[in-house]
Amino acid sequence: MTFESSPGQPPQAPVPLSPQEFKATAEGILTNVEWVIEGKSHTIKLAIAVMLAEGHLLLEDVPGVGKTQLAKALARSVDCSVRRIQFTPDLLPSDVTGVSIFDPEKRDFVFKPGAIFGNLILGDEINRASPKTQAALLECMEERQVTVDGNTYKLRSPFMVIATQNPVEMEGTYPLPEAQRDRFAARLAIGYPDINAELALLDRREEYNPLDALRPVADAEMIVRMIAAARAVHLAPELKRYVVDLVAATRTNPQVRLGASPRATLQLLRCTQVLAAMDGRDFALPDDVQQLAVPVLAHRLIPTTETTMGGGDTKAIVSDILRHVPVVSNPGRY
Amino acid sequence: MSGQRHATMVAAATLALTLTPLIGIFEGVGWTVPVLLTITVIATAGSLIRAAGRGQGLQTVAMCAGLLVVLTAGFGDGTALLFIIPLPATFEHFGVLASEGVAGIVTEAPPVAAEGGILFLTLLGIGLVAVLHDMFVVGLRTPALAGLTLLTMYLVPVSVAPDATAWFWFILPAVSYLWLLADDNLRRVSAFGHRFTGTGQLVSQKFPSPMARTARWSALGFIVLTLVSLTVVPTNTSGFIDRVAEDWEGGGDAGLGDVNPWAQLSGSLNRPEEVDVLRVSTDDPSPPYLRMHVLDELDSDGFGPNDYDDHQSLDLEEAEGETFTADIENLRMEAPVVPVYGTPVDLSIDGNWDRDADTGVIIGDNSDMGDVEEYTLTYTDQEPDAETLANADGMDPSDERWEANTEHPEVAEVSSHVDEALGDADTVHEKVLAVYKYLSIGNGFRYSLETTEAGNDEAIVDFLETKEGYCQQYAAAMAWMLREADVAARVVIGMSQGSRDGDEWVLTSHDYHAWVEVYYDGPGWVMYDPTPSAGVPGAVSTPWATEPAPEGEPTQEPDATADPSEAPSDATPSAEGGPTAGAEQPTDSPSLQGAEDGSEGGSGFNPAWLLLLIVAALPFLPALARGLLRRRRLDPARLTAKTAWDEVLDLALDYGVGLSDSLTPRQAAGVLGQAAPGAREAATVLGSAMARHRYSPSGADPTGLADAVRDLHTELDKNAEPRRRYQAMFWPASLLAKASAKQAEESARLARRSARATDRVRSAVRRPRRSNSRKDRSVTGRP
Repeated sequence: MTFESSPGQPPQAPVPLSPQEFKATAEGILTNVEWVIEGKSHTIKLAIAVMLAEGHLLLEDVPGVGKTQLAKALARSVDCSVRRIQFTPDLLPSDVTGVSIFDPEKRDFVFKPGAIFGNLILGDEINRASPKTQAALLECMEERQVTVDGNTYKLRSPFMVIATQNPVEMEGTYPLPEAQRDRFAARLAIGYPDINAELALLDRREEYNPLDALRPVADAEMIVRMIAAARAVHLAPELKRYVVDLVAATRTNPQVRLGASPRATLQLLRCTQVLAAMDGRDFALPDDVQQLAVPVLAHRLIPTTETTMGGGDTKAIVSDILRHVPVVSNPGRY
Repeated sequence: MSGQRHATMVAAATLALTLTPLIGIFEGVGWTVPVLLTITVIATAGSLIRAAGRGQGLQTVAMCAGLLVVLTAGFGDGTALLFIIPLPATFEHFGVLASEGVAGIVTEAPPVAAEGGILFLTLLGIGLVAVLHDMFVVGLRTPALAGLTLLTMYLVPVSVAPDATAWFWFILPAVSYLWLLADDNLRRVSAFGHRFTGTGQLVSQKFPSPMARTARWSALGFIVLTLVSLTVVPTNTSGFIDRVAEDWEGGGDAGLGDVNPWAQLSGSLNRPEEVDVLRVSTDDPSPPYLRMHVLDELDSDGFGPNDYDDHQSLDLEEAEGETFTADIENLRMEAPVVPVYGTPVDLSIDGNWDRDADTGVIIGDNSDMGDVEEYTLTYTDQEPDAETLANADGMDPSDERWEANTEHPEVAEVSSHVDEALGDADTVHEKVLAVYKYLSIGNGFRYSLETTEAGNDEAIVDFLETKEGYCQQYAAAMAWMLREADVAARVVIGMSQGSRDGDEWVLTSHDYHAWVEVYYDGPGWVMYDPTPSAGVPGAVSTPWATEPAPEGEPTQEPDATADPSEAPSDATPSAEGGPTAGAEQPTDSPSLQGAEDGSEGGSGFNPAWLLLLIVAALPFLPALARGLLRRRRLDPARLTAKTAWDEVLDLALDYGVGLSDSLTPRQAAGVLGQAAPGAREAATVLGSAMARHRYSPSGADPTGLADAVRDLHTELDKNAEPRRRYQAMFWPASLLAKASAKQAEESARLARRSARATDRVRSAVRRPRRSNSRKDRSVTGRP
C-alpha cells in the first residue's frame, strides 16, 4: 500500500488520448463489464461516464441485481484496486479513513490507512451507517484526501466511490441528507435483467464466475489520460446555455421544493463531455445532456409534499423538464 | 358543426347589414334581392362543404363556384349550358357587361339604376367580398380581419357618392362588426365550458358577462367621443361633417334635384366609349355652344348651379341679329334643362318648360329632356366685336345681380395669381383678356383630363399651380379670377359644337363642355372659352377674345382666328380624330396634347381589369413568398447547415410535422424521418449537419444539404394528405407562424416597456414612509 503524504508534488500533466483511442478504450471497458452484467449496457455506459468524469456513483437498487459485480467488473477492467466497505450502524469514521496507531518499536504513531485508500470504493448499504460515518466518507469523496491527526493524506487517482442503497428496506437506516446526496454525480438503478439476459446469465455462470475471466483493458494511468481527454471536449455556448436552462428549470418547477445546485451543473457538463468522447466526438451535443439529465439531476431534487403524496417522483419531473425546455433558448427558433 | 352554421349565418347577416349604405347609390331597393341571393348562395355553398368536413381551400372554391353560378344564371343571357354552367361565350358576355358597368359607374351620377353592367359588377364585387368575409369569419376564425371586408363594403358608397352617403349609414356596419366580434368571442369562450363572473359564479350564455362590463362602457364612451369630436373638428369641403350637417338640416340641392352638372360633365368626358347624345340640323354654318346650365354660385366648394328660382313663362322675345333655326333630335339626353343655342327666339318643344329670367336657362316644370324626342329652336347668334367690348363697362355694382355674380371666397393663392395675371389691366375687357391670356398654352397651361374632378377652392389653386386641367378647371378658374378682379362672370355648362355628319351635327358624350360668360354693360353676357381648343372637340372660336388693336382697328388685325363659318370644313387632327375638331389651332399648341387627350378620353386601359388581375394574383402570394424564401435559403452562395435546417423546420411546420422546441436536431431529424420514411437518410444528414454546425467548433460542411432538403420536401409532399399538401403550397403555416411570432415578440416588447414605465411612475410617486414619524402619535406600545 503506497500513498503520498501531503503536500505532494504537482502531478505531471497526462497526455490526452485522441477521440478514436478514447472511444476504443471506453468500448473495451464497456464490453468487459457487459461480460459480467448482461443486458445493461446503457447503465454501464453511464457508470463509466461518471467514473471518467471523476464523479461518484450512487446505485439505488434492491439486493442481488449486481451492484457489487458492476463495481468489481469496473475495477478489474481498469486494473486498479477495489475496496469494499459494508456500512453498519456501528461502523466508525476511523474504519473508513484509517487510524494512527502507536508502534511500540518505532515509539511513534503510525498511520494505518482505512478502506478509503483504493481506486474504486464500494460502499454497501451506505444508509445503514451512522451520519457521522457517512459524513466522513462524503468528505473524502469531495476533497479526495484524508486528514487524520493533523496529517493530510492524498487519495489515489482515479478515485471513485460507488455507494449502494436499498430503497425498499428503510427500517433502522439513516437516509442520506440531501446535501450529501448532492456529492454523488449520478444515481443509477441497475434493475432486473430481462428474461433473455437472465437466461444468458445462467448459461455463463454454470461453469465459472465470469468475473474471474476478466482481463484489464486499461490501467490507472490510462484512465487518468482519458479523464484529461474528456475535459478537452468542446462545449458550445448554446449547449452550456441549455444545461443551465435545464438546471434552472428544476429550481422554478412548482413540483420541486429544492432544485439542483451549481455543482449539479458542473457535473452534468463533465459527464456530458465524457459521453461525447465515448461516442468518438470532440464536441458535446444536447443528446448527450438528455441521456444524463435524469441520472445526474433527479436524486438532487426534493419534491414538494404534494408531489410525493401524489405518487410523483423526481425522475418524472426531470423527464418532464426535458420535454419542455427548448434546446435553443432563442424564441422563434428550435 | 352547428356552431359553424351559426357563424356562417352571422357572417352573411353582418355582410348584408353592411350593404345598407349602398341604398344611397342605387335607385329603389330592387337590387337587394339579387344581392341577398348571392350572399345566401355563397354562404350556403361554404357551409355545405364545411359540413362535409372539407378544408378551407375547397370551401373557398365552392363559394367562388356558387358566385359563378349565380352570375351565370343572372347574366348568362342564354350563353350558358343549362342556364347555370358557364361556357366561354358566357365569359365573353361577362367581359362586355363588366366594361359596360365600368362605363356606367364612370358616367352616371348616383343614384343609378341597378341593372345591366352595374348590377353585374355589384354582384361580382359583393360576391368576392362575401367569399373573403366567410373565410375570415368562419374558416380562419379571424373575425377581426373581417373588419377589412366590412370596411371595403362601406368605402364603396362613400367614395362613389359621398353626397348620397349619410353619416348614420355607418351605424349598421359598425354594429354588425361588433356583433361579429362578440359572437365569435362568445363561441370561443363557450368552447372552454362555462363562463364565470369575476367572483366565480356561473353566467348563462344568454346573459352578458359582467366581466366585460368595463369593455362595454369604454366602447360606448369611445363611440360617443368619436361622434362628438367629429362634429367639433372643422374639416374642409367634401367631408363627412358637411354631409352630416346637410342631412341634419334636411336639405339637399333645391331646384336641380340630384343632378350635379359637374359630375355629369366629368363623367361624360371620362367615359371610355363615346355615345351620341344629340343630332342637330341647322342653317347656321357654325353653330355656337349649346347652353344648358349656368353655375354662378361660388363658394369654397366651387361653382354651383343657379337655383333657377326666377321662373317665367316661355315667352321668348325677338332679339336683334341674324336668326337661325335648328331641329334637334334627342338621342339619349336626360336633363331637366333644354340645351339651347345663343339667345332663343322661338322654341317648340313638348312638355312644360319655363325660362329662368336671370340665366336664360330653359328649365323644366316637371318635364325632362328624357321625355323629349325632338324640338325646334330659333335663335340669334351672339357676335360682339372686340372694339365694342373694349369700350364697354362691366356690370354696375349697384345692379341687383352684382352680388351674385362677383361673390367669391377669399383665397390668398388665387388672389396672387390674379394680381400676376392682371398686370396693369384697367378696363373690363382688358382684365378679361389678361386672365384669358394668363390661362393660355403660352403661359404653360396644358389640357389634361387626368386631374381631380373637384372644382372647389383647393382644386382651383392646384390647377393654377400645376397648370394642368380640363374645361372644368379652366372655366372655373377664369370665372373665379374675373370675380376676384371685380368682373361679373359665371360658368356655363353645355355642349360644344360637335362634329359634322353630312348636313347635320352630331353631339356626343365627349362634347360636353364648360366655359365662361362675362357681363358687359350693353352687350350683356359674352361667352369666353379659356380651354385650349385642342382639348375640345368642336370648339368654337371667339374672335372678340383677342387683343383689340390699340388703335381700335380690330377688323384689320391679321388674326389666326378665321371666320367661324369656315371652321368646320377646316378639319384638323384632334383629340377624337373627328373630322371637325378645333376650329382654330392654337399657334403654340403642341401636337402631343392631342395624343394625350386621346389616351385619356378614349377607350384605353381599363383599371377594373388591373384590379381583377390583382385579386386573382392574391391567393398565390403566400406560395410565391414561401418559394422565394426557400430559394434564398438554398442558394449555394449562402447555404449553411443553419439555413438548410431553418428550411427543414419550416417544411415540418408547413406539412404539420410537430417538432417540439425541446427536441435536439438529431431527434427532430428522427421525427421527420418517420414522417417521410423515404427521406430518412436525408433527414439524418440534415440533423447531424445542424448539430455539428451549432455545437462543434469546426462547424459543418453544407455540401449536399440543398439536395437533402429537396429530397425531404419531395418525400413530405408525397406522404402528406391532399388537403395538407395544398395548404402547404398555398397557405404555408410557416409564413403565418413567422408573422405571429414577430407580433408576439413585438407585443412582449411593448408589455415590458409599459411595465418599466409603470415601475418608474410608481417609484416616482412612492414617498419615503417612515413609521412612527408622526409627531402627534407617539409610540405607546406595551407598558
